[in-house]
Amino acid sequence: MVAAIRTQQLSKRFGATVALQPLDLEVAAGEVVGYLGPNGAGKTTTIRCLLGLARASGGRAELFGVDAQRRPAEAHRRVAYVPGEANLWPGLTGTEALHLLGRVQGQVDERYRDELVERFRFDPSKRVRAYSKGNRQKVLLIAALSSRADLLILDEPTTGLDPLMEQEFREAVADARRRGQAVFLSSHILSEVEALSDRVAIIRAGELVEIGTLAEMRHLSALSVDATFDDVPPDLRRVPGVTAVEVTGNHVRCQVVGSVEPLLGVLAASGVHQLLSREPSLEELFIAHYGDGGPAGAGDGDGHGDGAGAS
Amino acid sequence: MRGTATVVAGRTARRALRSGVVWGLLFGGLAANEALSYTHNFPTLESRTELARTIGTNAGLAAVTGVGHRLDTIEGFVAWRVFGLLVIVGAIWGLLTATRLLRGEEDAGRWELLLAGRTTRRTATGQALVGLGAGFAALWAVTSIALVVAGTRSSVGFTLGASWFYATALVAGAAIFLAVGAVTSQLGTNRRHANGLGAAVLAGSLVVRAVADSADGLGWLRWLSPLGWVENLRPLTGSAPWALVPIAVLVGACVVATLALAERRDVGAGALARPQVPTSGTRLLDSPLGLVVRLERWVLVAWAVGLGALAAVFGVVARTAGTADIGNGSLNETVTRLGGQAGGSAAWLGYEFLYIAPLVAFAAAGQIAAMRHEEAGGHLDNLLARPVSRTQWAAGRLGFGVVLVAATGLACALGGWLGTIGGSNAIPLGRMLQAGANTAAPAVAVLGIGALLYGLVPRIATPVLYAVILWSFVVEVVGSSLTTNRWVLDSSLLSHLTPVPAAPLRWSAVAWLVGLGLLAAAAGVAALARRDVAGE
Repeated sequence: MVAAIRTQQLSKRFGATVALQPLDLEVAAGEVVGYLGPNGAGKTTTIRCLLGLARASGGRAELFGVDAQRRPAEAHRRVAYVPGEANLWPGLTGTEALHLLGRVQGQVDERYRDELVERFRFDPSKRVRAYSKGNRQKVLLIAALSSRADLLILDEPTTGLDPLMEQEFREAVADARRRGQAVFLSSHILSEVEALSDRVAIIRAGELVEIGTLAEMRHLSALSVDATFDDVPPDLRRVPGVTAVEVTGNHVRCQVVGSVEPLLGVLAASGVHQLLSREPSLEELFIAHYGDGGPAGAGDGDGHGDGAGAS
Repeated sequence: MRGTATVVAGRTARRALRSGVVWGLLFGGLAANEALSYTHNFPTLESRTELARTIGTNAGLAAVTGVGHRLDTIEGFVAWRVFGLLVIVGAIWGLLTATRLLRGEEDAGRWELLLAGRTTRRTATGQALVGLGAGFAALWAVTSIALVVAGTRSSVGFTLGASWFYATALVAGAAIFLAVGAVTSQLGTNRRHANGLGAAVLAGSLVVRAVADSADGLGWLRWLSPLGWVENLRPLTGSAPWALVPIAVLVGACVVATLALAERRDVGAGALARPQVPTSGTRLLDSPLGLVVRLERWVLVAWAVGLGALAAVFGVVARTAGTADIGNGSLNETVTRLGGQAGGSAAWLGYEFLYIAPLVAFAAAGQIAAMRHEEAGGHLDNLLARPVSRTQWAAGRLGFGVVLVAATGLACALGGWLGTIGGSNAIPLGRMLQAGANTAAPAVAVLGIGALLYGLVPRIATPVLYAVILWSFVVEVVGSSLTTNRWVLDSSLLSHLTPVPAAPLRWSAVAWLVGLGLLAAAAGVAALARRDVAGE
């Protein structure tokens, strides 16, 4: 089956600045891929090249086998796109904008569109200039989702939506996935990508640094362990695989890479009172890639809050 | 708190001062030039009496320029020659400056930052009014200096007081419409709306003043129009300073109303809210082309009606002037230089239509600006991310531009024709339709050149295009008196035209301009397909 997205050495530079290093990426039909990176990492540049809105400096981008750089209009037949900035013609009403976008798209499931209008609690009777950012975003989300296109390309689509609407959005994407639509979801909100994606690609400074399933990504990172002891804790720093040890009174927090067996042996021998271990969240994966343990990058401020809230 | 408020005053004043000085130089320069060249242009008593006889009895001219008094004297001539026009120009300047610095700043979101602090809207608006006042003072001062200096020359010989009062009357229209613009900036929902409301007031004042000036026995109507009050000041010929009273009262009332309204409304909204739910009409919204029609149809109507009406006024002037066969040396000189026949309504209209052609070109340039605006605002992404090609979108946009230009040219042809009906030397409709085509052809070239600029250098396309039109106009009007260099003269898109209806349409020039437009447009669309679609 032809891939929904396939890029070969796709790259983009603006003058001397390299915005996107040669990128090889494939999204299969029906697959949901999260595209994660801080602001300015090159997520939007990638998407604009994928859609042919920006001219690639090198390489190819295909949507369902059609060259999106050379024949963009044709390549867009099976694709719906939601930009990060919801810019619409201010003089149109919500109803008019939805009608126009549907007609230009060429396919609309009108029943589903009306259902989405209900679910997003969107009032389409006002003019675009009177809408908040979140409401403008809803117009574009409803237009894209109701097209039932085979591929949805979503660039930070939940900007400006409140948590309740974000939940509706997640359900709609899950629904699209069940129907066999592919989704390419760019985000700096880790919990969103974690909840929706089959695979995750991480981009940093214009370069793809990691791609894989959530399981594969976790394997790369550490297990997080919190232990409380009856007495003074043992020195865990010498235990194989243990890193980032923090001691607070009788409490120890550390990370384990690889097998946990050596650590369990030490803990069992030293009177552990309480033990808590958990899988690292995407947030921690993210930090592992960008900050060598410490927070870094302009974009992960948002990621922290949202990631912690949902994990 | 005081600190932030004076920031508004300072910002506004800086921008208003710059504009006031430039326009003051223009006002003062034009008016002073008329005074200084009077004895040269009308050296004999006969020439002055003849001038007074012809102009003084022309109702069509009076409707446009205002009534002249004592036209056989330098005072009467100078007070009439550029006064009516400059008062209108000043009023437009006042309106646009007020809405730009009050409402334009607010629409751009620059006020929200200030008002989020402790500055109240009333304080900020008050300070902005102080800034506008400074701009007006600059306009007044520069105009006054130019006229006082010109007035002291022995060939002119105006008293200091007379010169100064003339300068005051010249800028009175600007004062009134600065104040009107301040009020409409509070009433409208955005700057465009504010401009529209102010323009309605201006148009109303103008029509009432024109009727009062052109019909016998209706002179009292002037008291109903702010522009009529300005005319009633009668500078140089019968100074009536007490006519300043209604002007001062109106300006004061506008300032009070502006401050009161500023306090009561929300930032970014108008006091004239539009509470009713807008009705959604999806009839046109089925394709990119339909969207263009939906977005730009009223722009087309405004240009066609506006320029058609202007052509009709020119037609009326041409009919009366042409029938009386007023000898106007420089006009006939220009018309014959461009290959036309001197004398009669056709010469007048051929000359006036030279001024309409660049206006139609401006309408065309506005469509290129709208294309860039649609891209820069990110609206275009919503089309191009769907199965719409750039070529399809651009072709629809440019096609609409051609329709706009054609409709405007046709409206000018019909307006001019209607204006001349009934005169002793009326112009056949066919000849006027050629005049319409003559004004539309360079606008088609402008559309094409604009498309090329937009495809290659989108960020600077609009200003460069306006510069091309201004250059073309300047070269056409004064080029031949400054240089004989064919390359310079041919670089004007307008200088290839004949002054239709004073001469037959030069079909070859029309074909060249349209062909140039089509070629440039094709190249522009090709360039557009090869570049990034990008915001600001």
